[in-house]
Amino acid sequence: MKRKPIIVFSILVVFIVLVLLISLQSGTFQMTPAEAFKTIIGQGSDQQELVLFEFRLPRMVLAILIGAGLAVSGAILQSISRNDLADPGILGINAGAGFAVVLFIYLFQGSYQNLGGSVYILPMFAFLGALTAAALIYSLAYKKGITPVRLVLVGIGINAGFSALLIIMQLRMSPNDFMQATVWLSGNIWGANWSSVLAILPWIAILIPLVIRQANTLNVMRIGDESAVGVGISLERSRLLLLFLAVALAGASVAAGGAIAFLGLVAPHIARRIVGPRHQLMIPTAALIGSLILLFADYIARNMLAPSEIPVGIVVAIIGAPYFLYLLIKTP
Amino acid sequence: MTEIETKELSIGYEKRKIVEELNLKIPKGQITTMIGPNGCGKSTILKTLARIMKPKSGSVYLDGKIIHKESTKQVAKKLAVLPQSPEAPSGLKVKELVAYGRYPHQTGARSLTKADQDIIERSLKQTGMDAFKDRDIDALSGGQRQRVWIAMALAQETDILLLDEPTTYLDLAHQLEVLEVLKKLNEEEGRTIVMVIHDLNHAARFADYMVALKAGKIVQEGAPEQVICSTVLKDVFAIDADVVTDPRTKKPVCLSYDLMIPERAEEEELIPAGGAR
Repeated sequence: MKRKPIIVFSILVVFIVLVLLISLQSGTFQMTPAEAFKTIIGQGSDQQELVLFEFRLPRMVLAILIGAGLAVSGAILQSISRNDLADPGILGINAGAGFAVVLFIYLFQGSYQNLGGSVYILPMFAFLGALTAAALIYSLAYKKGITPVRLVLVGIGINAGFSALLIIMQLRMSPNDFMQATVWLSGNIWGANWSSVLAILPWIAILIPLVIRQANTLNVMRIGDESAVGVGISLERSRLLLLFLAVALAGASVAAGGAIAFLGLVAPHIARRIVGPRHQLMIPTAALIGSLILLFADYIARNMLAPSEIPVGIVVAIIGAPYFLYLLIKTP
Repeated sequence: MTEIETKELSIGYEKRKIVEELNLKIPKGQITTMIGPNGCGKSTILKTLARIMKPKSGSVYLDGKIIHKESTKQVAKKLAVLPQSPEAPSGLKVKELVAYGRYPHQTGARSLTKADQDIIERSLKQTGMDAFKDRDIDALSGGQRQRVWIAMALAQETDILLLDEPTTYLDLAHQLEVLEVLKKLNEEEGRTIVMVIHDLNHAARFADYMVALKAGKIVQEGAPEQVICSTVLKDVFAIDADVVTDPRTKKPVCLSYDLMIPERAEEEELIPAGGAR
């Protein structure tokens, strides 16, 4: 019992490091593993160092952080809605963040790239969008308390609404902005540099431990409202707190990585398969799996059609969609 | 020993009143069963006693304090509830679910202490589930599953145990098994047990005290002999019942019954179809 999680964590960490190393040395700028290794220990050329430490490494680190954030957010949403198909994408939280970002791009009409500090402003916009969507879902689903089914159904409605608004907004854009918005909405680790990393690192590093602290509450949330009250949960308060944590994680992740679909859905599922439904183990496992999947998907996205890139969200969807269908077929 | 009672308790959904001005004092350290036709409000009363539902007016008092105003975690140390057909998340192991019963005694994300582990072990033994503790709950039979839920409620270490139809969907032998476990808990540890049961004979056999309800009101309460008799059954269920004394248990048994057609029809008009609320 005690040994298994340690083995699982170790294997996942080893995989992450492996993919990280492979991903680091591949790309448009060719580098042999030996060269990459030399550069890592500080003996590469200036050009090699620039590519490795300023272009590739921050992007990998971002992928790890975003993957973990989305996975944990999905895990929380699945537990509080007691619906294994819930994730920030399906509930409209991504769409809310997406709408805010597109609004931002639209309002600044292509001039936003010159805007100082947009690295920090865009995530704030995305987070506000996610928060707005979540507040809408919560208040519309509220009827003397929240039932999980209402939460999911209202979420799907909000998702459709924001998606429609998004399309209206996009149709009024200049072709250039339209492209930018489309790429963002497909999910793309954009503007990968150390300041983006710094912008989301605190969110992930503070919020995930907070979620793990709530593991017992999350556990009990899963056994039904009546039983949960029976063992002494203040249902509404816990649900609101957990929803806020999920939205904050999704908002921060979406801000840096765009609307990456399916990751928040798939990672918690795989985690439950491996370590079972107890959140003490499930949450950290889901975080590691999310990181691993996104890191791997980003590697594919950069290299499959090199030198051009495809949005990482599309790669995740190509991996995630069949799994999603498999789940739908298997769910009674 | 914790005490639970209701004063002037009225409960309802939306505009429809289900229970009106109920005054009910649950006897300490005894088994109380609630009986009544579908829609009479027995499950609703149980849920309100367990603070899952809020009353419209009046209150439930736990040790003299209004239960809905107390910290829900503190209440969970005194009172455990087993809802009707609860469902465990898939992949959960027996001992993991039972451990959830320790929730009200834990603080923060702290894991289980030695004392917690001991209580979990004991709860599993008392319900006869210790041999199954590493099994997946999905893989158990209905009766075993119900005993696991009872073990979870036991792990809460409460004086009062509320159960909503704990024997539904179980076959005859498993029904009796579950009820025997509850009876043992009551006799050996003096826990107060309140349950809603559909089977009249089981209700009478295991009860020290019975409450018969109709349309949200108490028709008769008292010892099984006072409640299971043809006049009360006629009033409550609109049935014409033959009641005898079971030679094995010395408790009243409803041997056979017939519908009382005209009065039954009247009954259905009074009570709109509301399922087993």
